[in-house]
Amino acid sequence: MLVEILFYIFATLLVAGALGVITARNPVYSVLFLVFCFVNSAAIWLLVEAEFLAIVLVLVYVGAVMVLFLFVVMMLDINLAEIRQGFTRFAWLGWITALAVIAEITGVIWRNGLGGVDVGRGFVSEPANYSNTLELGRVLYTHYAYPFELAAVLLVVAIVAAIALTLRRRPGLKVQDISRQVAVRAEDRLRVVKVSAEKRS
Amino acid sequence: MLNNYLPILIFLAIATAVALVLLTLGSTIGRFFAREPADRDKLSAYECGFEAFEDSRMKFDVRYYLVAILFIVFDLEIVFLFPWAVALGDIGVAGLIAMVVFLGILTVGFIYEWKKGALEWD
Amino acid sequence: MITLADMLTLSGILFALAVAGIFLNRKNVILLLMCVELLLLAANFNFIAFSRMLGDLTGQVFVFFVLTVAAAESAIGLAILVVLFRERRSINVEDLNTLKG
Repeated sequence: MLVEILFYIFATLLVAGALGVITARNPVYSVLFLVFCFVNSAAIWLLVEAEFLAIVLVLVYVGAVMVLFLFVVMMLDINLAEIRQGFTRFAWLGWITALAVIAEITGVIWRNGLGGVDVGRGFVSEPANYSNTLELGRVLYTHYAYPFELAAVLLVVAIVAAIALTLRRRPGLKVQDISRQVAVRAEDRLRVVKVSAEKRS
Repeated sequence: MLNNYLPILIFLAIATAVALVLLTLGSTIGRFFAREPADRDKLSAYECGFEAFEDSRMKFDVRYYLVAILFIVFDLEIVFLFPWAVALGDIGVAGLIAMVVFLGILTVGFIYEWKKGALEWD
Repeated sequence: MITLADMLTLSGILFALAVAGIFLNRKNVILLLMCVELLLLAANFNFIAFSRMLGDLTGQVFVFFVLTVAAAESAIGLAILVVLFRERRSINVEDLNTLKG
């Protein structure tokens, strides 16, 4: 019973957060609303006992991806007024589309029952010593080893793309070479010259 | 199984309650006990005796972004290591080889960024 | 008990809101990327719901890979965005008309 109440609380907060994402005037607020959405989603995933994915969502999304979004929003000083122009011109189309999609999906689920699947079924709660992470690890590295290696290739592609696109060497930049500075000896810089004394005339 | 996560729920509830209480206390005390209504000068931004010269949002350098992106990639690598570490006893040598190949591929990316100087800060 | 229908309805609402967000913010590329993240989140909800209700772990493995792909996608997408802003001084979608015939 408590689980159900918590599900509805988190679901309401999630939908409210999503509304905030799409309607906030300032992109920084949108990013923070999206963080809120991800945290609530993690809570819901925890409630349906997909615990490892909930932790991954917080760790990767809230911890890294949204920070990246926030960086980009702060990095580009965007002219907000220009962006917001024409905000309302197609808004009605967006809301009509959203309502149509919601009506279709709920209709399919609640009236047709997904064509045979028992939508009223809940999940079987796992015993207290069940480890979701362990079960995931058992299949991920053996049965799904090939997609797992492909994920590594994908991450390498992301590294290369990010570096190739954004890394720029500024020409004419003067930097100090610390190892050369330290390695300098007195003989390299200073020459002691013996000068013969001149005779007093 | 969800009983294991009860402390998180309690923590969330207490954190929300404390935040709400502090916010309401602050705003109500501020509203009812303020000596005089705030005037324009009191509310204006103030910076070393002058009005603020420019926008407080300043542009970040693009190198922060590059560091963040590289952090994401290696964060995901750590996430892939977690279930592997838990399940290593069950999956045996096959799992070990799979992870060695995975880390090997990512090391190629790491060498690339090292050689390109993406980690240098100058 | 949380039923399959609850999860699917929530995911549908989330998906519809993200689609509406793409219509509403169709000029700002950053917000478009964020709406794509919301769409993927809604899809992940479906995967997790079916995986848990049918007792099959494959859905959760798939969500894991979706999260990986989405993180890489947003990283590259934002890199392109940075380069774009450097060239055009704007992130308005309507300014990206070089390829227009």
